[in-house]
Amino acid sequence: MKVLLIIPAYNEEQNIEKTVNDVIQNTDYDYVVVNDCSKDKTKEVCEKNNFNMLSLPINFGLTSGIQLGMKYAYKNNYDIAIQFDGDGQHQAKYVKNLVEEMEKTKSDIVIGSRFVTKKKPHSLRMLGSKLLTMAIFLTTGKKIKDPTSGMRAYNRKAIELFVRNASLTPEPDTLVYMLKKKMAIKEVQVEMKDREFGESYLKPLKSIEYMINMFFSIIFIRAITRKNI
Amino acid sequence: MTITLRVILIIGSLIAFFLCVKRIKQAKLKVSNSVMWMVGCLILILMSIFSNVVEWISVKLGFIAPVNFVFLTMIGFLLIQMFIYNIRISELNEKIKDLNHYIALKENEERNK
Repeated sequence: MKVLLIIPAYNEEQNIEKTVNDVIQNTDYDYVVVNDCSKDKTKEVCEKNNFNMLSLPINFGLTSGIQLGMKYAYKNNYDIAIQFDGDGQHQAKYVKNLVEEMEKTKSDIVIGSRFVTKKKPHSLRMLGSKLLTMAIFLTTGKKIKDPTSGMRAYNRKAIELFVRNASLTPEPDTLVYMLKKKMAIKEVQVEMKDREFGESYLKPLKSIEYMINMFFSIIFIRAITRKNI
Repeated sequence: MTITLRVILIIGSLIAFFLCVKRIKQAKLKVSNSVMWMVGCLILILMSIFSNVVEWISVKLGFIAPVNFVFLTMIGFLLIQMFIYNIRISELNEKIKDLNHYIALKENEERNK
């Protein structure tokens, strides 16, 4: 099985080196850094360390970055593509569990979930997560315990969907789309760290916009996906 | 509709119509992009000339004043235009994104040679 880790990075000069070294040391898989036209020295750091990098000349957001990673995976015939954050929140030692679960259960998507065996803490962030879990359950009848997790493994079939359909985001609404396409989703317990440096894609004020977008997308767009289109 | 309003509408749409044609001649506007604007101008001119038809329709549809019907038509027209442009912007966005991806993939290929 050929496995590729897609590491999207935007203004991560302080985190990217550590993240990629973690991947190199703790896994045997290939990786590619997708530099989304960072304003800081992310590109220079990657070049200095000779990391395998796709560097975008225009900033286009996370969705485009993941799609580019998927295109790369598709072109180079990878069987599994794993989305892996470049901000140091994800630990490479858990990636193996995702791949093993996927091989064992023959599922199409495996999510590195924080809440399979552990309970969700009570906070505003987790309330958002709970609401999304509920929306996914109501539309598909399946319980995804950690829908916002950024660590996900996709098989060849899912990679193809990402390459063909540019509207697929690396977000919870895509899970609904995939479930409606009758694809199997599994969750594996992982642990995540808090980010050390830099800013997240999801700034506090943006999270309200994010939730509204997700709900509209899940209820009005993804929920009426049919299996064969 | 009052005579003044009809005259203003006719003059306004005529100016807009000829501006459109002039821009096309100067090759600043594509023909396909301007057709919709010319159609809009023509509708306005027709509505001002045949105002009795507009009055008849607005009475049948229950408008308080015929001019409201003219405004509604124009708002509808503008909404359609806006939607068309929205789609066009999305298409352009997609194209730029694909180009963006293409450059990144090419650059990666060159570096790994």
